[in-house]
Amino acid sequence: MPCKHIIGCGDELARALAVWRVAEPAHDLHSLEIDPAGGEAAIAAALAGVDFTDASAFVAVDARYLNGLRLDVMASLRMRGIAMPALVEPGALVAAGVRVQDNCWIGAGAILQHGCRIGFNTVIGAGAIVGSGASVGHSCWLDDGVVIGRGAQIGAQVTLGLGVVVGHGRQVGKLCIVDKPGRIEADIAAKTFIHATHANPVVIVGA
Amino acid sequence: MQSRMPPQAYIDEAWFARERELLFKPLWQFIGLKVMLDKHNAFITRTLFGIPIVVQNFQGELRAFENVCPHRQNPIQVQPHGVRALFCGYHGWSFDREGATRIPHENALYRFPPEERACIHLRRFALEVVGNLVFVCLAEAPMPIKQQFGAAMLASLTASSLVYDSEVIMTTYEGAFNWKLAYENLRDGHHPRFLHARSLYQDVKFEASISEEGVAGLQRLQQDGIPDRARALGLMRSFSGGGRDAPMAAPPNAPFHAHVARYRDQDWYYNWLAFPNLHIASADGGHSFIVEHHIPVSAGRTDMVVYYLTAKKQQPYAASAAVLHAHMMGADVVLREDIDVMEQIQRTLHPGARSPHLGDYEYINASLEVWYLDLMEGKFAL
Repeated sequence: MPCKHIIGCGDELARALAVWRVAEPAHDLHSLEIDPAGGEAAIAAALAGVDFTDASAFVAVDARYLNGLRLDVMASLRMRGIAMPALVEPGALVAAGVRVQDNCWIGAGAILQHGCRIGFNTVIGAGAIVGSGASVGHSCWLDDGVVIGRGAQIGAQVTLGLGVVVGHGRQVGKLCIVDKPGRIEADIAAKTFIHATHANPVVIVGA
Repeated sequence: MQSRMPPQAYIDEAWFARERELLFKPLWQFIGLKVMLDKHNAFITRTLFGIPIVVQNFQGELRAFENVCPHRQNPIQVQPHGVRALFCGYHGWSFDREGATRIPHENALYRFPPEERACIHLRRFALEVVGNLVFVCLAEAPMPIKQQFGAAMLASLTASSLVYDSEVIMTTYEGAFNWKLAYENLRDGHHPRFLHARSLYQDVKFEASISEEGVAGLQRLQQDGIPDRARALGLMRSFSGGGRDAPMAAPPNAPFHAHVARYRDQDWYYNWLAFPNLHIASADGGHSFIVEHHIPVSAGRTDMVVYYLTAKKQQPYAASAAVLHAHMMGADVVLREDIDVMEQIQRTLHPGARSPHLGDYEYINASLEVWYLDLMEGKFAL
């Protein structure tokens, strides 16, 4: 029986296990919990001693640390040469020719339209729509129902929360968070954080 | 002791206008971080007491001007920060480091008489850089900045701010409270164990205490008053200070600490209060800093511009943006606890409200009141 290790933490780990059980009932699934506050040492500790021979893996971590924790865990597995095929839930509609890369998670009912591009390690929530010709960078998090307009460009490690609609052709720079419902009709610079809890954007300046 | 502060000091717009003239206009005011102005044409804009100000880098030299084009009064820089020449997008007027104007098609279209042309330049403000902190003064003849803060405070601000990294996260909170509630709150060391019991106080055990020397000084001040401007300035300098505040409950050990060159090597909560409206703190023993600038907007509104940055990175690391964002959101918890209580207090105030009662541990706030009311009553001028 093929073996798959589901590695992550919290609700996402439990949810991924449940979905993989339905998607791949023939797999022998193993769950590995990591301490999300433990940094690289915690990742190494979680993976130590695990037999990945002939096994695949999936990383199920939420958008914390600007999706950086999910990316770090994935990078650790990649360095070990472990396969991490995407999880496409039943009911998702993926247009012909759209490539769903490693460790992506496409939720039930999501629609990936013709000619869109989705980077590795990106999570597309249930019912989300990615318009034709749009691109979504690696390690993004699109919450349930998010809409990406045709030709829009979403940078790497972007998080879009519930109720966000990105207008056709708009650009959202890398490492942004938009967690305030509404339609984006202006480009958003990289490292801009728009939270429903904050009256003004939080921005990073310099490097 | 009963406070002498009348409610009008917190709610009355005429009082607020007098504060602007008597207190803020003569004083040096923080305006931004030098690390955000580190290249040619880098700029920041802020509005201080209704005056739009731009600080612009000209080949490494910082200058402050009123951010208004002398032609049709369009703002010259329209973003809060960025890198762009000092150039008005409306009719193409541009400005040099002296504020002098270059006007396209000047002879063909404007034909200013020489005496009028000589007056067409930007209004310039005095600017001082203290480490990585940029201050401006709106007065035509500013006092020496050392007279406001004192040499020791300036040295401490310089040394600590020079470790600031160039990657900065920032936002603005629009607080519905008078700016003085912020400085009173910051000089009240007893509130964290209650207001911040589940947040800041978990990491740092602030212990308020009574200084008998401080209380005696307050009593002398209340009896004798402030005899002259020199004493008033000396007293004002005592309202600014900083450095180690309280030991941390446990040594700081966030993963990013390995990537930055911390300020000093002590596991203390550091705190700097620069009177009247700047607060800087390090809650992790000098690995990172929060800079809070309380900008008075009206009697009942204060904009809190909050910056968070780490000490200088020893080398770039991939998670630096995530570190800044996570800490900003962590600081947000404490800031909102403070903002909520200040807004609650502001809502209770009305012209007939009674004055508060201060304990002896609040001798600094009580001394500040005496100084402040003497200033507002014209007993001395800055």
